[in-house]
Amino acid sequence: MTDETNKTTGARARLSRRGLLIGAAGSAAAAAALPGAARAAGMAPGELNPDLSYPFYGAAGQAGVMTPPQRYVFFMTFDLTTDRRRDLQVLLARWSGAIAQLMKGETIGQVEPSRPDAVGFDTGEALSLGACGLTVTVGLGPRVFTGTYELAERKPALLRALQRLPSDALRPELTGGDLSLQACADDPQVAYHAVRDLARIAKETGAAVTRWTVMGFGRASAGKGQATPRNLLGFKDGTRNIREAGEFDRHVWLNEGPAWQRGGTFQVVRKIQMHIENWDTDRVSDQNAVFGRHKLSGAPLTGKAEFDTPDFAMKKPDGAPVIPDNAHIRLAAHENNGGIKILRRSFNYTDGINQYGLLDAGLLFISYQTDPAHFEALQQKLGAADALNEYIAHIGSGLFFVPPAPREGSYIAEGMFAT
Amino acid sequence: MPRPDVTRPILASVGFAALLAFSQGGAAQAAEEGSPAPVVNGAAQVAITLTGEAGGTCALDHAEAKAGPVTFTVTNRTATAITEVELMSGSRILGEKENLAPGLAPVSFTVTLGGGSYEVYCPGAKVETVAFKVNGAVATPTGATAAILAEGTKGYARYVDGMVLAMVTAVDRLKADIDVGDLAKAQAAYARARPFYERIESDVEGFVLPGFKPTDNAGNLDYLIDMRASNLDPAVGWHGFHAIERDLFRDGRITAGTRKLAAGLQSNIARLGKLVPGLTYRPEDLANGAAALLEEVQSGKISGEEEAYSHIDLADFAANVEGARQAFAFLEPGMKKIDPDLTARVDARFAAVDKLLEGYRDPTAIGGYIRYTAAVKAADAVKLSKAIQALQEPLSRIAEKVATAG
Ligand code: HEM
Repeated sequence: MTDETNKTTGARARLSRRGLLIGAAGSAAAAAALPGAARAAGMAPGELNPDLSYPFYGAAGQAGVMTPPQRYVFFMTFDLTTDRRRDLQVLLARWSGAIAQLMKGETIGQVEPSRPDAVGFDTGEALSLGACGLTVTVGLGPRVFTGTYELAERKPALLRALQRLPSDALRPELTGGDLSLQACADDPQVAYHAVRDLARIAKETGAAVTRWTVMGFGRASAGKGQATPRNLLGFKDGTRNIREAGEFDRHVWLNEGPAWQRGGTFQVVRKIQMHIENWDTDRVSDQNAVFGRHKLSGAPLTGKAEFDTPDFAMKKPDGAPVIPDNAHIRLAAHENNGGIKILRRSFNYTDGINQYGLLDAGLLFISYQTDPAHFEALQQKLGAADALNEYIAHIGSGLFFVPPAPREGSYIAEGMFAT
Repeated sequence: MPRPDVTRPILASVGFAALLAFSQGGAAQAAEEGSPAPVVNGAAQVAITLTGEAGGTCALDHAEAKAGPVTFTVTNRTATAITEVELMSGSRILGEKENLAPGLAPVSFTVTLGGGSYEVYCPGAKVETVAFKVNGAVATPTGATAAILAEGTKGYARYVDGMVLAMVTAVDRLKADIDVGDLAKAQAAYARARPFYERIESDVEGFVLPGFKPTDNAGNLDYLIDMRASNLDPAVGWHGFHAIERDLFRDGRITAGTRKLAAGLQSNIARLGKLVPGLTYRPEDLANGAAALLEEVQSGKISGEEEAYSHIDLADFAANVEGARQAFAFLEPGMKKIDPDLTARVDARFAAVDKLLEGYRDPTAIGGYIRYTAAVKAADAVKLSKAIQALQEPLSRIAEKVATAG
């Protein structure tokens, strides 16, 4: 398998070199070969369609969960600043109306009002960019369900703060939040504009202020029909992810509880920092052993092609397992976790260079599951034993309940206010 | 007025057929005239329904009512692009509802209307204005709210005058302490003088001394009084409060230069004291001034740039907020009539900021608040900034409302 992939690389390298050497004539051939190469890298050409838009209203889960991951994310959490139930209702209703507008690629109001003393309703920076596949997914944190808002009895049965988990290095300023917005789009400015303007509404209604945020570039998980992209460690991410509707129904969407919760799901968010420089100086055989997969092809160490099923029982001649005991995929695979599966919908992020002069980057890990305990069960094991721990640190965390999509004429979680 | 303008071209261009359309229109109008809004508990009841149909529709169940109290009840069924409805007479807002969104319970507002033509304004709808007619005695335009607001601006002018007078006295004191070379007293006098300026700085911006170009900082009173190290114009040099602050707090000594600076500040403040009493304000000036003071908090105080040597930034912070609150308080009686919801939200955010500031009070410290050191800033700047942000957004909506109040 390594032979084959290396051959492909060789061919590609030769091709581009030839393209450089013999100029225009050769570059046509090189260009012809490129789409295939580009696809292999997880970037289907011509993918960006500014008019791509998804409906906000619906009868099932919110958009942004099952939606094929877009290229960019702008994720933000909020702290509630009000103790009035009605302010929370108004905020969720204003957000819902505004998100419906934004997902159609429209403004949320006038950009340049005719009255000279008016401030713009919409900040304007996404004008004419199109919807670019924007989805905005709203999550509710544990503090929403308190007596303050007369919602204590409405708390989803499984919602609570996440347990403290092994290797947690959580920073308070990157942790928690009463509300979350996950805005994903194929244009970063579209995603940014959405959250920026929704944050203004939060402040204007007096209901909430911003808490922590991550801007992610580059999806690091594949949806149905998408080529598998790569995370910043250079590995294909999302090979064995939830894809089929049946799996979503079993592992992601709630199908019991009060009507307003059905079609909901739990969102776990972890800001995971990577020690990029250390990783880059690690030999490739060790990198492969960390994940239990080959870097280039994405194939399990026990197989040849990306989608080959890993064989966790396979042994080397010396009796050691081919996929090491502390390999990431061995610890996380459903075969070794009582059938637990979670939807991973992560994005790469960078915060520039840190105070030590190191690249400050990592993975904005976002998972959706029917029970936060499913995430905890996996992270219990990973946090304790994952070979990857040497190269990462979980520095931010949040848990939110994501109610189902509202029907037209309603708003997110309206049902939880019913008396 | 707009109605006939719209119908006339149709008549002209469609010619004969238009006569028919006109008579039909007349019939429809007659039917509506036959059913003015029903009166319940003494108020005519009009329902305004917002839907997403045809790119956003704003519909009234009755297009007219009898003179007297009229209650408008607004329901947003499916209109995601419309979040506000206003009742207008010409360019004046008589009543309004905001924060409308699909799914929320209907909300209503009541206004007392005399006979005449009005408009319901629904920003974001495909057709943004809908005509509304009131039959009966034409009320003499009361301009009640505008009058209340105008009264407020006079009150605010007196407040500003008072601040300037107090500032003149406080700066005289500062100069006296500097002249006798009493460092401790001068430091305390500096901290006492600063808040007067910070409360009203948005009103005293932009004064240019006679004979100077607007672009020449040598004639810019705000520059001469309040310039910080970070904004120095080398051609003009450093004058005013912060140059004195540097001498008193960083260098810890009073020199001949300090005395010269104090004399300069005294004369510039005296000039200000002469200019300010003549000023008049429009309601929107108060609102925009309050917003500008909060911008000052965000850009100068939370960063700790304003009082880089004395570290009394929190005293300045409190003074900026106090000035903004005064401006708002003078608008409040009128604002309560225009938009009680927004007024309550702004009130609540001011209260939250005050509560936060309470925690920093220290009567033994110069300026009355703890020193805003690097450590305090590192620990609390985010908290302080968020409280101000939460106040800025709702406050920024006020200027438009008071500028168009009826
Ligand atoms: C920076 C942190 C992480 C990186 C770089 C990373 C990377 C990867 C990679 C490269 C794979 C193999 C390809 C695939 O099947 O998608 C994988 C698989 C997986 N990861 Fe992670 N991961 C990270 C954190 C996590 C965390 C926090 C969890 C959950 C607690 C998790 C759960 C999983 C699961 C369930 C699989 C599929 C295993 C299988 O069925 O074979 N990962 N991850």
